[in-house]
Amino acid sequence: MNDPMMVEVKDLHFARGSTEVFRGVDLQIPLGKITAIMGPSGTGKTTLLKLIGGQLTPDRGQVLIGGQDVHKLPRRALFKLRRRMGMLFQSGALFSDLDVFENVAFPLRVHTELPNAMIRDIVLMKLQAVGLRGARHLMPSELSGGMARRVALARAVALDPDLVLYDEPFVGQDPISMGVLVQLIKKVNQALGLTAIVVSHDIKETLSIADYVYIIADGKVMSHGTPRTLDVDEDAHTRQFVHGEPDGPVPFHYPAPDFYDDILAPAGQFS
Amino acid sequence: MKRNSVLELGVGLFMLAGILGLVFLGLRVSGLGVGVPQNTFTLTANFANIGGLRPQAKVTMSGVRIGKVTDIELDPKWFDAKVTMQIDSQFDGKLSDDTTAAILTAGLLGEQYVGLTVGGSPKMLHDGDVIHDTQQALVLEQLIQQFVSNMAK
Amino acid sequence: MIDRIAALGRGTLDVLMAIGRAGLFLVQSVFCLPSREGFYLWVRQMHFVGVMSVAIVLVSGLFIGMVLALQGYTILVGFGADEALGQMVALSLVRELAPVVAALLFAGRAGSALTAEIGLMKATEQLTSMEMIGVDPLRRIVAPRLWAGFVSLPILTVIFAVVGIWGGHLVGVDWLGVYDGSYWSNMQDSVDFVGDVLNGMVKSLVFGLVVTWIAVFQGYDLVPTSEGISRATTRTVVYASLAVLGLDFVLTALMFGDFG
Repeated sequence: MNDPMMVEVKDLHFARGSTEVFRGVDLQIPLGKITAIMGPSGTGKTTLLKLIGGQLTPDRGQVLIGGQDVHKLPRRALFKLRRRMGMLFQSGALFSDLDVFENVAFPLRVHTELPNAMIRDIVLMKLQAVGLRGARHLMPSELSGGMARRVALARAVALDPDLVLYDEPFVGQDPISMGVLVQLIKKVNQALGLTAIVVSHDIKETLSIADYVYIIADGKVMSHGTPRTLDVDEDAHTRQFVHGEPDGPVPFHYPAPDFYDDILAPAGQFS
Repeated sequence: MKRNSVLELGVGLFMLAGILGLVFLGLRVSGLGVGVPQNTFTLTANFANIGGLRPQAKVTMSGVRIGKVTDIELDPKWFDAKVTMQIDSQFDGKLSDDTTAAILTAGLLGEQYVGLTVGGSPKMLHDGDVIHDTQQALVLEQLIQQFVSNMAK
Repeated sequence: MIDRIAALGRGTLDVLMAIGRAGLFLVQSVFCLPSREGFYLWVRQMHFVGVMSVAIVLVSGLFIGMVLALQGYTILVGFGADEALGQMVALSLVRELAPVVAALLFAGRAGSALTAEIGLMKATEQLTSMEMIGVDPLRRIVAPRLWAGFVSLPILTVIFAVVGIWGGHLVGVDWLGVYDGSYWSNMQDSVDFVGDVLNGMVKSLVFGLVVTWIAVFQGYDLVPTSEGISRATTRTVVYASLAVLGLDFVLTALMFGDFG
């Protein structure tokens, strides 16, 4: 762990209304590695990505990217920083009024002065990498969910960013496109040498590509380590999550009065 | 960004339709430029009282529209109303100089307009001339007042 | 009791905050520097907002002009003043009906579509993803739509008035037999270009601004779920229509009334 830290999250606090989403989260994301952030649904993993991307402002604590505090940057500098970041959204978030080619070309057109021929070459290269060069004239509404996510991946890396954030890349995919995406993320990362943050709760797929894993629950980092160490972790929380046990520290039952009493409650006392 | 020439053409036609529509509203509906300058000549007439006459009111002869009132102002010398009218140029030099101008009302409650009646003088009116023989507007209150004071005698 | 006062205060604060957000939103979007790309985005939106609304405006304008002539004729002929039909049709259209009805149709046709479109972009994270790419959605998505709305409504209003006057001519002159010359000349005598036509245009400019602003803001500010989109679309039509009718009274009082 002596690699230079690309992203550092220090003592992050964030509340949405009266719900405390994060109560002091510390993360170190090493450069050029795939770091996974995992946790049960509803622990605010997507919120964490939005905090890192500077779309939300924390109540306390810092997010440093390459040494810059994201939330202290003026708007212009923040947009400049974001050009070095790519983000893959859960839904793909392709622009519905542009076709596949223009979607991938979009970051290039707005941030570079490249001639059209060069943009075309770059876009075709990126689409070739995700295997959708032939689909370049389709509109986003004509793509399947898995294809949309692959196009979104091509778009996220169009500018050759230093940091890519993946928000639930495997959710709702059939086994084939899931396998394709796992391979792609790994391949893209190796080929471009990016730093990647993958937020997910698909354990098997995520552990197979991650170099380092953080598990978040209850607004805190519950445990962290390499996939290998987590697999044999003795901590009850970690075990339940990593091995998908239905009952454990995270209870199966929503808090309720005793089942026996509830069933046998005298008539007229139903609540 | 790919361009779509059909779409651009549509937007162009749309904006053109807006401009043409505004031109139509200006020319045909509000009558701007209906008397183009070379087709009219100007006459003025002084009235003791114009009642409710307004610019754009019509000027008629025997009930036929031949021009319109373009300007009304108070003559500072005589303290009466100076009404400027534009008359169709086909009557230039055809109206005798003893033509009378009267302010009339269309129907009982309608708008007021100027009615011209030709006289018998051999001299004719030309551009910029003044009609001397005028008849002021009938003001209902004055009529009633006259009637009441006549009754009292 | 105290609860109610607290709720009232919270409600008031919520409304004030929404108005503040809407104001900031307008200022931030409208003053985006235009570029060549921006111009083309604007042309695209002119198509969706303006050109696509032409059909409904044509049809409604025609029928409103026709019904005005029909109603007006039966009243005017009683006073023997059917010659004044052109004047009545033109004045009611140019001063009042064209700006208001075109704005209401615009709110229903283009306003709701704008809200739904931007809402859908928000719900599918397109706005967020655009921000993450480093492009300001206010500039890229919102500004072209706002400007397209501002420009479109006055044009639609002109088209509405022209078609309405033509429809009035069709019924009054061709069917009911009002003399063609007096239809036009009465109109020309009474309609003043600055006082009536341009004032009507000023109204439609204000309406265009308000309706588009409400529509785009409702889309941008909504809760990004399918329920949120449908609610925001309804709100756009309701708020925009109320704003048009209320502002119409205020503007009419300022222009034609003798207040102040």
